[in-house]
Amino acid sequence: MPTIEIEGRVFEVDGDGFLTQPDIWNKEVATLIGRYDGIEEMTDKHWAVVNIIRENFEEKGMAPMIRVICKKTGLKLREIYELFPLGPARGACRVAGLPKPDGCV
Amino acid sequence: MVEARGLKEPKVRIIMLRGRMEPQINYFLMEKVSKEKIEAGLEVLQALKDSKLITQLNSCVHCGLCADTCLYYLTTGDERLIPARKVDIVASIYKRYCTFTGKIAPKLVNARDLDDETIREMVDLLYGACTMCGRCVKHCSIGVDIEYVIRAGREMLARMDYVPASLQATVNSALESGNNMAISDEDFLDTIEWMEEEMQDELDDTNASIPINQPGKDVLYTLNPREPKFFPLSIAAMAKVFHAAGESWTLSTNMYDVTNYAYFSGNPDHGRVIAQRMFDEMSKMEAKKLVLAECGHGIRANRWEGPNYIGEKFPETITSVELIADYIKGGRIKTDKNKTEAIVTLHDPCNLVRSGGIVNEQRYILNHTVKNFVEMTPHGTDNFCCGGGGGQLAMSEYNERRLKIAEIKAEQIRKTGAKIVATPCHNCVDQLSQINVTYKLNVQIKTIAEIVADALVF
Repeated sequence: MPTIEIEGRVFEVDGDGFLTQPDIWNKEVATLIGRYDGIEEMTDKHWAVVNIIRENFEEKGMAPMIRVICKKTGLKLREIYELFPLGPARGACRVAGLPKPDGCV
Repeated sequence: MVEARGLKEPKVRIIMLRGRMEPQINYFLMEKVSKEKIEAGLEVLQALKDSKLITQLNSCVHCGLCADTCLYYLTTGDERLIPARKVDIVASIYKRYCTFTGKIAPKLVNARDLDDETIREMVDLLYGACTMCGRCVKHCSIGVDIEYVIRAGREMLARMDYVPASLQATVNSALESGNNMAISDEDFLDTIEWMEEEMQDELDDTNASIPINQPGKDVLYTLNPREPKFFPLSIAAMAKVFHAAGESWTLSTNMYDVTNYAYFSGNPDHGRVIAQRMFDEMSKMEAKKLVLAECGHGIRANRWEGPNYIGEKFPETITSVELIADYIKGGRIKTDKNKTEAIVTLHDPCNLVRSGGIVNEQRYILNHTVKNFVEMTPHGTDNFCCGGGGGQLAMSEYNERRLKIAEIKAEQIRKTGAKIVATPCHNCVDQLSQINVTYKLNVQIKTIAEIVADALVF
C-alpha cells in the first residue's frame, strides 16, 4: 500500500494520495494534506469548503456537487478553484479526507 | 494555528512506489487464477471471427520504431514498456493456445501460459502503461494496429475480472446510476438551473435558457459528468454559444453522460449497455442529431464504436467542435478574436484527432476566437497524449507513471510560451490542470466552448 509521509506522520493512501482510511481524518490531517498541496495556511474559507465536503461524505458517502459547496459557503465558483490549486476534486476532496471521486477527475 | 503546531517548515516526502516504475501489487491478483477465468480470457483469442486481431498478432516484425513514439518509453527508457512488447504478450498467449507449434513446443516460439505471472504482467503493461493514444500505430513500419491489440488484451483481462479497481468503480457508477459520477436527477437539475441563472445574469437576457427534457429539438446535447459535479462553467459556456446561434436544443436528465468507461476497461457487455442507453435516449427524445460534448473517448465510444457495441447504426452524431465551426462558417454566431490577446495553444485529444479525424475544425475555431494562436510541436495527428488517456486519469494505481509521462506534454506547452491551453476534451483538461501544478506551467486550461463563449459578439 502506498504511503505518504508529512511532518513525520505516515498515512496510507491510494496512488493518487487520497486517504485509504477516511476515518483517520481530523483537522490536523487536513492541515497537513493542505500543506502538502501547497496551501500554506488553511483559512476560514478553506475550512468552510472542507467541512461541507466532509459532512456530505459522512452523510451520503460521496463528495457534494460544487453547487452545494457554493450555496452553503456563499463562495463564488472561481473562488473555490483559487482556494484549492488542484481543484475541488483532487484538491478539496483530498484535504477533506475523501477517497478519490470516480470519473474524469 | 499552523505555527503553534510547529508546522512552519514542512518536511514533505512521498513514498508511492517501491523503486522506480516498478509495477504495483494488485491485491486481487494474489489469488491463483481459476480454470474458468483462463477459459473466459482465451475466448477473446479463440473467437475466430476476429480475423483482424489474428492478423495484428502475427504481424509485428520487431523493427522497434514504435519505441520512440511512446510516452512511456521516451520518459522512462524502460524497454518493457515499448509498444511492441505489449503486442508481444498478447501474441505469446495466442501462440500458446491457438497455434500448432505453440501448443507442442511453446518455448520454441516464445509462447506463454496464461498464468498468474503473465496476467500480472498484462495488467501492468496493458492497463498500467498505455494511454491507448495510438501514436505508435501511426508510426508502425507495417501498420500494426497496436491499440487494437491492447484493447483485445484488456478485454481478456476484463472477462477474467482483472480490471483495476478504480477504473471498474467508474464503470460501475455509470451502470448503476446512469452517469459515471452517480449524480442524482435532483442535483443535476439544481446545477443546470444555477448555470441558467448565471448565464441570464451575465447576458442580462431572461430568454437565455438551458432547455431540459424537451423532445423534438434539432440537437440533443451531452455532458461529461465532471461538468455538473465540479466544473459547470463549461455548461454555461456551451449554452451561451447555443443561445447566440439560436439553436433548437435540449439536455436530457435521463441520459446526458457522454463517457463510456467500458471502452477503457475493455468489457464489451458493459460498453454495450452504456452505448445502448445513448441510442435509446436519442430515439426517445426524437432529436435530429446527437451532439457529443468535448470528450475524446466519449466521441469515439459513441460515434465510431457505438454502432459496433449495439450492432445498429447511430442516428446523425457529431461533435460540438464541428457544430461550433459550422456556426462560425455559416455566420450563425459572431466572434471577436481581439477579446483574447494572450497566447493560446491547442492540445489535440488523441481520440478526437488521431483516431477521430477531427483535425481542422478546432483550429478554424481558434483562428476566429483568439488573437495569438500558436501550435505545439508536434501537433495534429502526430500529437503527444496528455498522459491521462486510456482511463489513466481514473486509475489511481498508476498515478506516478501518469505524471511522469506528462513531462513531454509539459515541455511542449512551455515551449509555446502560451498562457492558455485550449483542448476539446474534459479528460485532457483535468490531466493538463494537474500537469500545470506539477510542472509549474502557470497556464490556464480551457475547453473550446469556453474560448468561444469569451469571444462571442451579440
